[in-house]
Amino acid sequence: MSAATAAVAAAPPRAAVRAGDPAPPRKRRSALGKHRALYLMAVPGILYFLVFKYAPMGGLVIAFQDYLPFLGIGGSPWVGFDHFVRFFTETTFLQLLGNTVAVSLLLLVFAFPVPIILALLLNEVRTRSFKRSVQTVIYLPHFMSWVIVVSIFYVLLSTDGGAVNNLIVEAGGQPIPFLTDPDWLRPMYVFQEIWKGAGWGTIVYLAAMTAVDMQLYEASELDGAGRLRQTWHITLPAIRPTIIVMFILAIGDFLELGFEHMFLVMNSLNREVGEIFDTYVFTAGIQNGQLSYAAAVGFFKGLVGLLLVIMANRLAKKFGEEGVY
Amino acid sequence: MVVTRGNSMRKFGRLTTGAASAAVVALALTACSGGTGEGGEGAASDEPITWMAMLHTPTTPEKDGVIEKALEEHTGEKFEMQWVPDASKEEKINAALASGTLADIVSLTQGDSTTVRQALTSGMFWDVEKYLADYPNLSKVDPQTLESARIDGHLYGVPFQKIKARYGVVVRQDWLNNLGLEVPHTIEDLTKVAHAFTHDDPDGNGKDDTTGFIDREESFRVGFRSLAGYFGAGQQFEVAADGTVVPSFTTDAYKDAMEWYRGVYEDGAVNQEFVTVQKSNQQDAIAQGKGGIVVTGLFEAKNYMALAQSADPETPMSWALVNDITAGDVERRILTDTNGGMGGWLAIPKSEVESEADLKRVLGFIDKLMDEEAFALMTNGIEDTHYSLDAMGVVTIEDQTAWEQEVQPFASSRPSEKVITYKSTTEYVDEGNALMLENEEYVVTNPAQSLTSETFTRQWSTIEQQVNDAYNQYITGQIEMADYEAVIENLRGQGLDKIVEEYTAAYAKVNG
Repeated sequence: MSAATAAVAAAPPRAAVRAGDPAPPRKRRSALGKHRALYLMAVPGILYFLVFKYAPMGGLVIAFQDYLPFLGIGGSPWVGFDHFVRFFTETTFLQLLGNTVAVSLLLLVFAFPVPIILALLLNEVRTRSFKRSVQTVIYLPHFMSWVIVVSIFYVLLSTDGGAVNNLIVEAGGQPIPFLTDPDWLRPMYVFQEIWKGAGWGTIVYLAAMTAVDMQLYEASELDGAGRLRQTWHITLPAIRPTIIVMFILAIGDFLELGFEHMFLVMNSLNREVGEIFDTYVFTAGIQNGQLSYAAAVGFFKGLVGLLLVIMANRLAKKFGEEGVY
Repeated sequence: MVVTRGNSMRKFGRLTTGAASAAVVALALTACSGGTGEGGEGAASDEPITWMAMLHTPTTPEKDGVIEKALEEHTGEKFEMQWVPDASKEEKINAALASGTLADIVSLTQGDSTTVRQALTSGMFWDVEKYLADYPNLSKVDPQTLESARIDGHLYGVPFQKIKARYGVVVRQDWLNNLGLEVPHTIEDLTKVAHAFTHDDPDGNGKDDTTGFIDREESFRVGFRSLAGYFGAGQQFEVAADGTVVPSFTTDAYKDAMEWYRGVYEDGAVNQEFVTVQKSNQQDAIAQGKGGIVVTGLFEAKNYMALAQSADPETPMSWALVNDITAGDVERRILTDTNGGMGGWLAIPKSEVESEADLKRVLGFIDKLMDEEAFALMTNGIEDTHYSLDAMGVVTIEDQTAWEQEVQPFASSRPSEKVITYKSTTEYVDEGNALMLENEEYVVTNPAQSLTSETFTRQWSTIEQQVNDAYNQYITGQIEMADYEAVIENLRGQGLDKIVEEYTAAYAKVNG
């Protein structure tokens, strides 16, 4: 509750600043009256955060209890940090952390740059109709649910009659168990992430590129710069702030891989490299009924995520960029 | 700052007042409807009865469909089904139990799920035992089924009455004929058949595109469980020679079965990616003739036929139903797949059904569902629409598609499967029923079924999952038997030993 109240208290001054009103503190009250309409507009947003983001945080208290739904939050016995102690001392912790970090790193290294490269390529396309159609086509996968994406890959990659393995066998190779071999899980996961998300990810960068001053390109052309040089010396520096903001956001989601995708591609044979915090919270909490324990795991994940955002933001500011806040 | 806070607090206060008054209004409304209920001298409310039930078919039957209407007419009660797809029952039911968003009747079919057991023992459901005697059908529930359904002496729901052991092995008869093989009755012969189905082109299409066993993701809990039974392993738990109650997956018989099955898998005679195969994919693969041996309920052969015929009316498919596989010198036996005829509970939550009068109304409804008329509706459908009945009482399903759409979903929600056994003109139905009946004599049940172990309730789901993973890894050749044993050793410290200890003590207490 205290977090919620604090948010309410903090909101008006910020809104006042945004409204461009440099009113000194003692005049705040009149500022509130003056910008009533603005405050009114902020109310739905604030309510949204209160109701859907802050109020549910109260539920985190079950991480410190032996929560039984039938007893409720009020009636469940208090166990303090027991669940955290169990989590940090179990071998699963290192496995989960390792898997989550490994997959996240792979995504940062391989998936993060893809939209930037795609956007740069698209930016150089001069035929408008071609550019438009390519854009549409690469956006499409974004609108498919993970269930569809994974099912498509399942049909393609299965060793029991999947198209890809049929080709491999036709070409004289041995079928590759993409779906069950632990070594193939991560490459497959990253590939699917890129296939689904890369096109959509270009939107932000393309938007940033339209803001680049055309005169710069003209001037560089006079100086004899080719396409590559223009890209390197004009386009990329121009979208650097965008890239950095996107990077900070990506870091913030570092442990937040999302449950659905991994859950769908995981099975007992590749679980050892696939189980991440999100899926573990689900199996432990929902499937195996250890709600409190799962809440503790989720809580930990959230804290680490918060820490990472703050660190990334600090780092960005150190390098003279704006950061996200 | 102070002013601001005060202001927003005041606003916030007003907001809470608003919410509170809304809640009061809502309360008043419910109180009103509840009031009429209790006002009439304990008369039950007349809201439709809601029922959360498992759906084993791919499509949901239409709301207020013909069967629902007919059942409402028979029982004199309006009701609403809330279907939960069987594949996602774990998360759906657990989430529903955890959040308390339940229906008036909740079908709980996973007797050993941690959440379900915790929910049952938490007292959130009515203990129905003392009411059963007042109802014509409920008073006649099989005592052994009742015993299996009790937890700590309490009956937290009306048990689903099932046939005790429905499992067996079904084998493609036409493939056996093509290859000149006999129907297998021993594990050795079954192995040979599986090998031949994989390597000798049983469908004669000149391609190496068939396998023996078609298994699925749930192998550990379903198909292989039954196979291990032939080798002498118990149903989930068994009593060892020294009187301790041990999980069957730790026994030598079970490991022998694993070694055998891995051999079959290595031979290519089990679909190689069974760990990724869902039930509906498995059925498709069978219908498409990708494999010829399925360890499953003996009633399934007719469903495979129907599926294959819907794709190709000229399908050469035919099945041999086998209920008497034996391994080595182990005597004929079959593990129960229904906890000794107890398929779970029709539990009635106190949060939804608040008064005793309402409880009696719900029990009356369940009781009426066990009448012959209701049983016929949920089994065959409506006479002359879905099926016809000849003078000998033989049932012919007339409209297979309509039956699958409208009737089949209700079949698994019948409170009792054993009301009548209809003769049928559909292939394999009578045969399957006869073989399942034969099974009863050889059935092996779980000695720990009605015992309680607190650690079991809390930890079993987690333990079982880890063993399940290790089992899959062993069968597919990722790990060796020593690794499997190491996983079990590791689990001993995580509660497995405590479960054994608690069950052994409980068993000794009951059996002297």
